[in-house]
Amino acid sequence: MARTVKTRYRTGNIIVAVLLLIGGIVMIAPLLWMVSTSLKTRDGVFALPPEWIPPVPQWENYVRVWDAGPLLSGIKNSLIVSATVTIVGTITSTMAAFAFSKLRLPGKNLIFLFLLSGMMIPFPTLMIPQFVMFANIGWVDTLLPLIVPGLFGNIMMVFFLRQYLHSVPDSLIEAAKIDGAGYFRIFGSMIVPLIRPAIAAQFILWFMAVWNDYLAPILYLNSPEQQTLQVVIANFNANYAILTDYPLIMAASVIALVPVFAIFVAFQRQIIESVALTGTKG
Amino acid sequence: MSASADAMSTTRKRKSTLYRREHLVAIAFITLPVVGFLVFAIGPFLYSIYASFTNWNMLADPQWVGLNNYIQAFNDPYFLKSLGNTFFYMIGIPIGLILALTLALAMNRRMPGQTFFRSIYYVPVVSSLAAVSILWQWAYNGDFGLVNQVLDLVGIKGPNWLQDTATVKPALILMAVWKGLGFSMLLYLAALQSVPRSLMEAAELDGASAWQRFWHITFPMVQPVTFFLVVTGIIGGSQIFTEINIMTPTGGPEFSSASIVWYIWQKAFANLQMGYAAAMAVLLGIIVFTITALQFWWNARHGHEGTE
Amino acid sequence: MIGNLNRRTFLAGASAAVAAPTLAACSGGGNASNTPSSTTSGGKVSGEGVELTYMFRGGADERKAYDEAIKAFEKETGAKVKVIATDADQYRTKLQAAITGNQTPDVFYLEQGAVMAFAKNGIVKDISGDIEKAGIDISKVWKYGVDSYRFDGTKVGQGAIYGLPKDVGPFSFGYNKTMFEKAGIPLPSKDTPYTWAEFREVAKQLTQGGEQWGTGLNVVWNLQAWAWSNGADWADADRRTVTVDTPEFAAALQDFADIQLVDESTPSIAQAQTMDTYQRWMRGQIGFFPVGPWDVSTYTKLDFDWDLIPYPVGSTGKTATWLGSLGIAVSNKTKHSELAAQLAMYLSADEDAQRLLYKAGVQIPNLVDMAKGEYAESEGKPENKMEFIKIAEDYGRALPAATTWSGEWYDEFWTGIQPVLDGKKTAAEYCKEVQPRMQAKLDQANQAAGI
Repeated sequence: MARTVKTRYRTGNIIVAVLLLIGGIVMIAPLLWMVSTSLKTRDGVFALPPEWIPPVPQWENYVRVWDAGPLLSGIKNSLIVSATVTIVGTITSTMAAFAFSKLRLPGKNLIFLFLLSGMMIPFPTLMIPQFVMFANIGWVDTLLPLIVPGLFGNIMMVFFLRQYLHSVPDSLIEAAKIDGAGYFRIFGSMIVPLIRPAIAAQFILWFMAVWNDYLAPILYLNSPEQQTLQVVIANFNANYAILTDYPLIMAASVIALVPVFAIFVAFQRQIIESVALTGTKG
Repeated sequence: MSASADAMSTTRKRKSTLYRREHLVAIAFITLPVVGFLVFAIGPFLYSIYASFTNWNMLADPQWVGLNNYIQAFNDPYFLKSLGNTFFYMIGIPIGLILALTLALAMNRRMPGQTFFRSIYYVPVVSSLAAVSILWQWAYNGDFGLVNQVLDLVGIKGPNWLQDTATVKPALILMAVWKGLGFSMLLYLAALQSVPRSLMEAAELDGASAWQRFWHITFPMVQPVTFFLVVTGIIGGSQIFTEINIMTPTGGPEFSSASIVWYIWQKAFANLQMGYAAAMAVLLGIIVFTITALQFWWNARHGHEGTE
Repeated sequence: MIGNLNRRTFLAGASAAVAAPTLAACSGGGNASNTPSSTTSGGKVSGEGVELTYMFRGGADERKAYDEAIKAFEKETGAKVKVIATDADQYRTKLQAAITGNQTPDVFYLEQGAVMAFAKNGIVKDISGDIEKAGIDISKVWKYGVDSYRFDGTKVGQGAIYGLPKDVGPFSFGYNKTMFEKAGIPLPSKDTPYTWAEFREVAKQLTQGGEQWGTGLNVVWNLQAWAWSNGADWADADRRTVTVDTPEFAAALQDFADIQLVDESTPSIAQAQTMDTYQRWMRGQIGFFPVGPWDVSTYTKLDFDWDLIPYPVGSTGKTATWLGSLGIAVSNKTKHSELAAQLAMYLSADEDAQRLLYKAGVQIPNLVDMAKGEYAESEGKPENKMEFIKIAEDYGRALPAATTWSGEWYDEFWTGIQPVLDGKKTAAEYCKEVQPRMQAKLDQANQAAGI
């Protein structure tokens, strides 16, 4: 009896695995096809029937692509924006989360609710005045409009870290206070190490979100040398499609994906766990 | 007595100075987010509301025109159409959720390769939307695109997805589902893993069918996740822009793919009708807020049944 | 098809769409045949120690040519010029941001359609006086170009000068000579345009199932030739009444649509989507295709022979097409208006720069004499350069929206046109149905303009 259940379970597993595999192929196929296209010749993409593996992989597409547009400066700009925003913003957000969760301040929950309610305002509702504001101080076509608002922290991150901090007992902090530790010391050598995994996960998610952002960059960046990677590849798409240079477009897009894939592979566990946390705590 | 009263008052005093210090520290710690919120959200938000009552082309100062922009919006077929398109895209939300939950159920078994599958399905989520849009624009190419080539294998002559008023929206939905599936799946999987196995085993012993177990145990247990995904899906979906702008840069055949944010963006930054665009943006804000509030209200009334 | 058209504008077309509208505004700044120094003979201004900012958009070839003009200007006046370069489709936003931020460049490009708004709001300077003071002879530049940037407070085309043309962009018609020769079809005449019927007949003959097509035109950029040569227009001369509901207009649109619907002499929508007609033309699969001066550098490398002809004609018997332009304007806030006007003049009409530009195959010279003289006689494609010149001087017209406060009324016409091209609606039905919507938007624009 037990054995048949077990066998049934195992056959079930096989069927499920096969179905998941098929689904997985569907999920991954477009990306593989992108890589495949990026290695074809310009005419090769129009071959019928299509070739999944180009007979002669055109690696030089990946050489050509650097001269075809400001890809390098795009990567640099994206890196500057994402790194500055997430590093400084994470510090800001973590400190705020600590204050909202563990420090005494009359009305802090009200303030927090107020901040949270702001998340219901869609960005498009804000973008016109923000644009005018940044234009007035001459920041358009610089990276500043993308960086500066992020430095003030990310309410979403404050929210999750605050949730996370609820599991840290208040008594721990009280004890530290009695021991004469200052708030910065409590924050720096106690809170941060305690919630480091949560910070790291939120940091990575935020980094990828900023890296992948498109609407704000196309709003603010006009000069090719100022543009972030996402805008650069979108312009690639617009400029080279007319020349049917799909391999070049796909090569640029592959390059745009590589950094996030690398991060994903490296921090897979943290990312997946923290996303799971998002759902259950949110 | 007097000594103890004395001691008490010093403690109180010490406590109050301590508290005052703590308040100051707390204020210092939350100042930046609060200031940022005022400067980058509330300020612009209020200005948007003001601008929505003006005629403003950014060359001259805004001129007060009262409700004109709002009246214009409700008489503007493109505004209504882009709003309609935006809601149409949300069909993708239930489709994505059903698929994601199915996948999560399939994966919620003690079987090898689970981590591998999880990662595979999650790859589109981390990919940049711009790159993914470029990829799918190419994949939807009429003759040489991946989608039609696959359809060709089973003998179907696929349409010219992005050029046809009938297929452009479904095509965009399909892509959005593909992109977001891994995220929803992951959340469902986490929720499923917190369903006590003993509960399921007990139900099985009681003779509950698989469907009954799903409907009476699993589904209510994952209900908070569903709620979260629907709320964030609607907020995000109402702001769909990147894929529209990259894949159908002119708003699609006969304006059939233009989303509301795309239209606002066009009006504001291509036609420089800042006032009108602000009015539409405010309307979008109101719609999003109302829907979200309704969902919370509904969730508060019905959501907890069976979850606890 | 409209998507296809727009795509061309977006893609390769950055040049077409951009260069075309840019061209229209040539206000006739420079002395065509004189060196820059001679143009400024009237009152030379020293620019020692002055830095002017100049916002530029365009390709590398253009940049090179304008750098020459700038160098000459710097040498002549001692001023320095700081160039702010942008992508074509980002230009407007960037300029707008600069204006909002009180950083309006001293000299910048101005689209034809923006003349009214920019002049009325005091963003661009009336440079008539500066031009006069500097002794610049604007008659050497295409009249159309200069007039495009004239504005008298209500109407574009007359009055004070608010800009000089960067270029004029004649949107001419090309044909694939090699294809004609192979098919044994007599070459089209460069003097006598085809009638619509003749054109459609030839296009049919050139079409060979799935490999080669007579033509592949984009309604957004080519319907003008059909409508105008049939005596129709989008609006009346005063730009007050939308006139697309006339029988002449409907007939033109229907004939245009029938090239595909009835004759099937163009790639089908599916075929055009796979590879748009622009690419097919470049691969030698298309018989007739529009050609602008900005295309010449690319088309010179094609492996078939091609040349220019006038567009086929409707009931008026007169060929027509549009002539774009982009202007060079001076900021109202500049502290060095004469110097800035002079820079505009150099950019518009410096002889060396103009020569570089036509040789690079990106535009025809702004200087009338140079165009008719050394350019018309120069080697290189197209052979029939006179067609470009005739358009610039004689039969080219501004696009309908170039002289109105906003172009939305005109855009409205294209947004719903697809069903006509698909044969789901007749041209007459569509024109009748779209007229009130366009009229409402035109009224709105005129109201905003205060006229």
